[in-house]
Amino acid sequence: MSTIIKITLKGIFRDRVFQGIMVTACVFLLIPGIASLSMRQVTELSLTLSLSLLSFIMLLLSVFLGATSLWKDIERRYTFSVLGLPLSRQSYLLGRFGGTALFVLLTAAVLGIAACGVVAYTSSVYPPDRPIVWGTMALCILFDALKYILLIAVAFLLSSFSTSFFLPVFGTIATFLAGGVTQQVYDYIHSPTSQKLSPVVKQIATGLYYLLPNFGAFDMKVNAIYSLPIPANGMLLTVSYFLVYVGILLSLAAAIFSRREMR
Amino acid sequence: MIKSASAALVCLFLYGILIIPFTTYLHKKPFVEKLGYVPSVTALKTVAADHKELVAASLVLKVLMYFGGLFEKADNQVAVPPDYMSMSRLLHGSVKLDPYNMDAYYFAQSFLTWDVKQYKLANDLLDYGMKYRTWDWYLPFFVGFNNAFFLKDYASAARYYQRAGELSGSDLSRLLAGRYMQESGQTDLAIAYLTAMEKKERNQAVKNNYQLRLKAFRETRRVEVARDRYREVRGAMPATVVQLVSGGFLSPPRDPYGGQFYLEADGKVATTSKYAFAGVKNLSKQKAGEPYERH
Repeated sequence: MSTIIKITLKGIFRDRVFQGIMVTACVFLLIPGIASLSMRQVTELSLTLSLSLLSFIMLLLSVFLGATSLWKDIERRYTFSVLGLPLSRQSYLLGRFGGTALFVLLTAAVLGIAACGVVAYTSSVYPPDRPIVWGTMALCILFDALKYILLIAVAFLLSSFSTSFFLPVFGTIATFLAGGVTQQVYDYIHSPTSQKLSPVVKQIATGLYYLLPNFGAFDMKVNAIYSLPIPANGMLLTVSYFLVYVGILLSLAAAIFSRREMR
Repeated sequence: MIKSASAALVCLFLYGILIIPFTTYLHKKPFVEKLGYVPSVTALKTVAADHKELVAASLVLKVLMYFGGLFEKADNQVAVPPDYMSMSRLLHGSVKLDPYNMDAYYFAQSFLTWDVKQYKLANDLLDYGMKYRTWDWYLPFFVGFNNAFFLKDYASAARYYQRAGELSGSDLSRLLAGRYMQESGQTDLAIAYLTAMEKKERNQAVKNNYQLRLKAFRETRRVEVARDRYREVRGAMPATVVQLVSGGFLSPPRDPYGGQFYLEADGKVATTSKYAFAGVKNLSKQKAGEPYERH
């Protein structure tokens, strides 16, 4: 499996994805200028812009690398030669996932350093009212990366049975959007304002809440931007949720992929 | 090949013809249209996904750019009334997305009070912000000022200033609270407030706005000091500002908004501009020769 991880990483670098990210990362240089338009929170705005840019790049990576990795192999018939080797389909799928997830982590680390540089520069010119908590910022980036790794797992699950890349790509985007609001929907249906909703709708919404990934838990931008503390038990629960949910998705993906008929 | 090149050339030519009227149209597009409308906050929250803070910041920046543009126009003697309603709507939407966004509270405070006179709306927004920005002394400082200066609710003002003092660790707010409790020195307090605001302001349009108002208040204060000195020396209240000038108590005061200072029946110093350029415009519509001094 480690060989597949290495090959996946090499393939991503060979496709010049990293160079593409580095070019996109040049946008970081514009952030101090844009942030200076703020009246009272220049550093906070530079943090907002940096974290959002980082998050957006990782979203693109997760959708396009995660949703096309398996499909591309099957389409180019690489799977025939690779799976002819003494390697189980499950190991192949997990290796592909591991390589993509590692690349996202690497990107998060590199772009995170760039974001820290931008924020450090802005805060030196425009000192913020509250000191920046670098640990919170690092945690925010880490949890963002975990969120996108979870999204990659969704993409792999969809790729495991899809015959084209449309379902994995659009399904992943739809899951990302839905996963971002499940908590709000859940809070709404459990509030007094939703009394007029029919019980069936409430039950369906509750069912979807448990079924879909909850990306809201991974969003710690507000904590990083305004130096708000992150509760330790919340982090522990979120990491546990991540491990269990990714475990379920990958187990399902591996089970489906191992029974898939290759043509 | 030749066909494609010709088509490209034709398209470029058409682009050249189109781009100037297109740019002119966009440049002259009404401000209300430019400021746009915020869809429901719930919808924005859904679309923004994990970029709520970014969307909130972009809404605030949109309002700032819009206001800055108006100020530039005013400098060029082009008076365009700001669309305060849309500005307020956008800022309220932005704090629903990111309740910690200080720019939104700060800017809302600056125009909802002085310009729109929506003190209650401003205070409600600031109270909402205080639930989140629990460390920030500015928000209670603003509410304290609004309560005392605009709403004349000195008990509430003192309470908020006390809170601001506790958060900032500075005596200034406590001092202001004390003065407000006595209901004295209104102009001095307005100067203190505006000086604090102006000092930390980085947006040039808003800073200019504060500086202008500050200049007007300093002139008002000068007239007040002269009025008090006149009363001490002559044992009676002066009837007009002209009396103060001719008596050597005051050099002629100048209202930066273009108005003229006068004394009200109770001796209070006021200006015909009402501290706004619009006040002077309204006045110019009145009959020439109408006396400014009212007794």
